[in-house]
Amino acid sequence: MARKLVSGNQAAGHTLAVAGEANREARGCICGAYPITPQTEIIEFLRAYEFTKGRVVPVESEHSAMAVCMGGSLAGARSVTASSSNGLAYMTENVFAAGYYRLPIVMIAVNRTLGPPWNIWVDQGDSLMLRDAPWLQFYTESHQDLVDTILLAFRVAEDPRILLPAMVAMDGFVTSHTQMGVDLPEQELVDRFLPHCIVPHRLRSDHPTTIGGLTWPKETEHHRIEIQRAMERVPEVLAEAISEFEEIFGRRPHGLLSAEHTEDADVILVASNSMARTLRGVVESRREAGEKIGMIKAKTFRPFPREAFESAVGKTAKVGVLDRNHSPGSGGIFWQEIVTSLRNQPDTMVQDYLVGLGGGDVTPEILHEIVDDLISRSKSVEPVWKEVASR
Amino acid sequence: MTEVTICGRGGQGGVTLAKLIATSYFLQGKDVQAFGVYAAERSGAPLQAFVRIDDEEITNHNQIKCPDHVIVLDRTLISPGIAVGAKSSGWIVLNTPQAPEDFAELFPGRQVATVDATSLAVSHKLGTRSVPIVNTTMLGAIGEVFGITLEEIEASLAELRFGEPNVTSARQAFQQVRKVKLSGHVTEIPTPQVRQKIAGLLDEDQGLPPKIKTGSWATQQPERRQLTPPCNDGCPAGNDVRAFVEAVGKKNYSRALEILLETSPLPGVCGRVCPAPCMEACNRSELDESVNIRDLERYAAEHGEWPVATTPWRSERIAVIGSGPAGLSAAYQLAKQGYRVTIFEAGKQLGGVMRTGIPAYRLPPDILDYEISHILDHGVEAITGCKIDRKKLLELSHEFAALFVGTGLQNIRTADLGTEANDAVQEGIEFLDRARLGEERCDDERVIVVGGGNTAMDASRTAQRLGAKSVRVIYRRTRDDMPAISEEIAEALEEGVIIEELVSPIRITPMGSGVGLLCQRMRLGEPDESGRPRPIPETTDDAFFEMPCDRVILALGQSHDLSILPEGAELKDGDTLVGLFGAPIFSGGDFAGNDGTVSAAIGSGHKAALHIHQTLSGDTGTPSTTNPVAEPNVIHMNLFNCSVQAKPVEIPMNKRRSSFAETKLGLRDLPGVSQAAMEAQRCFNCGTCNSCNRCMDYCPEGIVYKEGGEYRFDYSYCKGCGLCSTQCPRGVIYMSEL
Repeated sequence: MARKLVSGNQAAGHTLAVAGEANREARGCICGAYPITPQTEIIEFLRAYEFTKGRVVPVESEHSAMAVCMGGSLAGARSVTASSSNGLAYMTENVFAAGYYRLPIVMIAVNRTLGPPWNIWVDQGDSLMLRDAPWLQFYTESHQDLVDTILLAFRVAEDPRILLPAMVAMDGFVTSHTQMGVDLPEQELVDRFLPHCIVPHRLRSDHPTTIGGLTWPKETEHHRIEIQRAMERVPEVLAEAISEFEEIFGRRPHGLLSAEHTEDADVILVASNSMARTLRGVVESRREAGEKIGMIKAKTFRPFPREAFESAVGKTAKVGVLDRNHSPGSGGIFWQEIVTSLRNQPDTMVQDYLVGLGGGDVTPEILHEIVDDLISRSKSVEPVWKEVASR
Repeated sequence: MTEVTICGRGGQGGVTLAKLIATSYFLQGKDVQAFGVYAAERSGAPLQAFVRIDDEEITNHNQIKCPDHVIVLDRTLISPGIAVGAKSSGWIVLNTPQAPEDFAELFPGRQVATVDATSLAVSHKLGTRSVPIVNTTMLGAIGEVFGITLEEIEASLAELRFGEPNVTSARQAFQQVRKVKLSGHVTEIPTPQVRQKIAGLLDEDQGLPPKIKTGSWATQQPERRQLTPPCNDGCPAGNDVRAFVEAVGKKNYSRALEILLETSPLPGVCGRVCPAPCMEACNRSELDESVNIRDLERYAAEHGEWPVATTPWRSERIAVIGSGPAGLSAAYQLAKQGYRVTIFEAGKQLGGVMRTGIPAYRLPPDILDYEISHILDHGVEAITGCKIDRKKLLELSHEFAALFVGTGLQNIRTADLGTEANDAVQEGIEFLDRARLGEERCDDERVIVVGGGNTAMDASRTAQRLGAKSVRVIYRRTRDDMPAISEEIAEALEEGVIIEELVSPIRITPMGSGVGLLCQRMRLGEPDESGRPRPIPETTDDAFFEMPCDRVILALGQSHDLSILPEGAELKDGDTLVGLFGAPIFSGGDFAGNDGTVSAAIGSGHKAALHIHQTLSGDTGTPSTTNPVAEPNVIHMNLFNCSVQAKPVEIPMNKRRSSFAETKLGLRDLPGVSQAAMEAQRCFNCGTCNSCNRCMDYCPEGIVYKEGGEYRFDYSYCKGCGLCSTQCPRGVIYMSEL
């Protein structure tokens, strides 16, 4: 396996390309894409890639980019795209449509602050704005996590038990533009890992059908229940995929979440994306100092793994959630989900910290401060703003 | 873990350098990170890039505040600030031609390495001269300092597909880098705690401009200049063409006339007969058609209010010999300087060749009369019918304080066509003068005119008007080589004149009721001293032929008659004659060898007048500076709409051939529309700011402003984007490299 020093975008572009190419003997690969900082490098990579079957269709907007992916997927192609921030906002109508059509499209979301005011740096508010869309959502911490998760996303999304689109997120710039070493998956191994993409309800001339027509309330409710059931099957399908991944690639990616030093922990911190890596360094150093600190790296956000959180937290008294996102009038979005997950554990205090919003630099020092704050706190309060940018 | 901060400017390749450094360690099996600070990556803006290197897995992703090493890619960024937070055990690697010891005061106690990467990059043509790309070169120096081998450096360059000359440049930097541990104690500068106050929506002090002096990003800056418009440069009379055209464009015709009268007393004449080198030079002809400057000058003379003449206030008297355009111009300029001028003219009327040589259909005599009378109004005395010879000239030199000789070309060049039919041969100048006085008719004659100058054209067109049956012009070269104004040639052809090219006359003999002109065919050879092809006689049998006709008019040109001058006197345009005891004698116009146009004579007379004034008053005036000419390539023609040149109204062809009425009637206004003003507004104003404000409108930073009517640039915020320069239609704003 080739270990390369590349940017997160290049790693994502490579993985989408080899996954698309793996479908060359079936119905190929289609990418409808529109550039936006910091995602553009992915599109450039795919545009330069010579697919045996399939291509990038340049369009005039993100809305059309997703429309192309839906068309490609309805024709049976493995369909991929990438976007960020206001591009995702503009795409939103078709993001929902792709999910409700049950099309296993894979999209890379390079997290970037939604404007205005204009800001190109990382903030998860863009992909989390789509939390109520019928999409799987995964958050990745490093280049390797990103590459592995993209491959898993194809497997889960295209599984006949699931048939839902999947979004894989990474931090804008901090991951997308940082050069790091990564094992880039080789075509041969990906061919083995990814079966041909089969969209059972694809449009066929020999069997004409209409999809997306008018439905009555009862039929609509049934449609939603089916999606909910599919979401509920994700942990099982993901676990299967991880086992097979390990067999083929020789390493075992995280699944729904990664619980580290949680068994005996007095306090647990929860983080996602690259912040989880910086947190890991902090947790390890405090463990070495004898403090009973644990962490959960949140990876799968949709479906939200409530049971996995419940069991990872166990009887731990204090949980601190690091949210690089903000739902105005409420607080951090991961925090809301975690509080819901721990609704049956009244002895656990959950405190939210809003940190690194708008691309603020999250340093180990800031995370140490948060750990100290959490330890000293006996009662949770409203989400605490860590104004990183003003330091 | 080792951490490195790179300080550079956008465009220098700082982020790529981070990746190059990271790659050289990555290839050794280390865990690495390379990243930049994004968003301000505009060319020239200060930016930072970072590298992390460790044997263990690197977990944190924040920006580097306390680096082990600091690398500075740009000399202008070297300041104590770059060492803030940096560990004293590491290196500061600087791109500078200076020695490390030179930084003893700036970085005491630090380990400093220097290399002149910019010169190396420029010598290897990496990037451009103004923005050399120094990253690959710096890698060599950094490698030496960090203990990376040359092989590892080359492997890193190869991994990122950098070949020659990057490798050579890096290798040279590796060898040339100088390293020193400076004496003294490291000044620990604590990382400043910036507590920036961020304005809220309802705060009163919000909206203050940020104090980021973006001018430091610039690699070039706009400057303003004044260029000489090509029309001004091309005007032999020295008219400020651009300025008078601008005044016409503003419908201020009196101001336009005033500008013209500064340099020329004969705008109505030049507005009709000038060959208009200004229009040939006009940059607008590169876009569509030149501005019709000649007709605008005529329009200004016709529509402007003529100013009240001054009266002489000096005691010195000056004699002007000859009243052609040079003499009149000299007299006018001297009178305006307050001198008492007396003109001596051999003919019966003033005006010289303008009266005798230019037919009324081109220059009506009343126009000439009016402009001469305006000159005389300045207290100029005129004595006509008074021929000045050498003896008389010497007498005058004792009566007057200075003399100006502008007697033009009095010797007529002729040709020997034999004596057999002499009566049918006539000189062109004489023919034109007799025609003017109503003493000639050519009814039903076959006329041949010999020559290719303006006199030949005037004689042929005059013969047409005097009833000739046919008029042929024979010329020994081709039409393209004719010295006559091309428009006059075209008008002669329009009026039915026939031009026979490459024909030379030999002899005239009686033939039937008229005469026969024996001619010889010519061909063109190598250019002669005039720059035109030399005509060479053909010698074959059919080279000779006879043209039947009734009259042959010779228009072969004239030369000056130097017999008026004292013996041994040398002629210099506008300059004084030497070796005399009396008043200084100056000369000008065709007499002094000018090119035969009215405008050149006006300029020559003006120059002589200035010289006379300087000689008499000792006032040398202030030396004028000449700006470079605005070439077409500095004009942004894409900012102008194409338009058609306004043409003068002409009388119909059928009325032309029988009348000496003026052929062209000038620009004619339509109700409510001044054609002249519209035509004048076509002017580009080459190289001269006319306050169009485009620079202010287009500056994306809003740093172009006006102060006391003058445009200014706020260089502290100007990023040097160059939009003002590309949007300046007339080439006034240009970008100078810093």
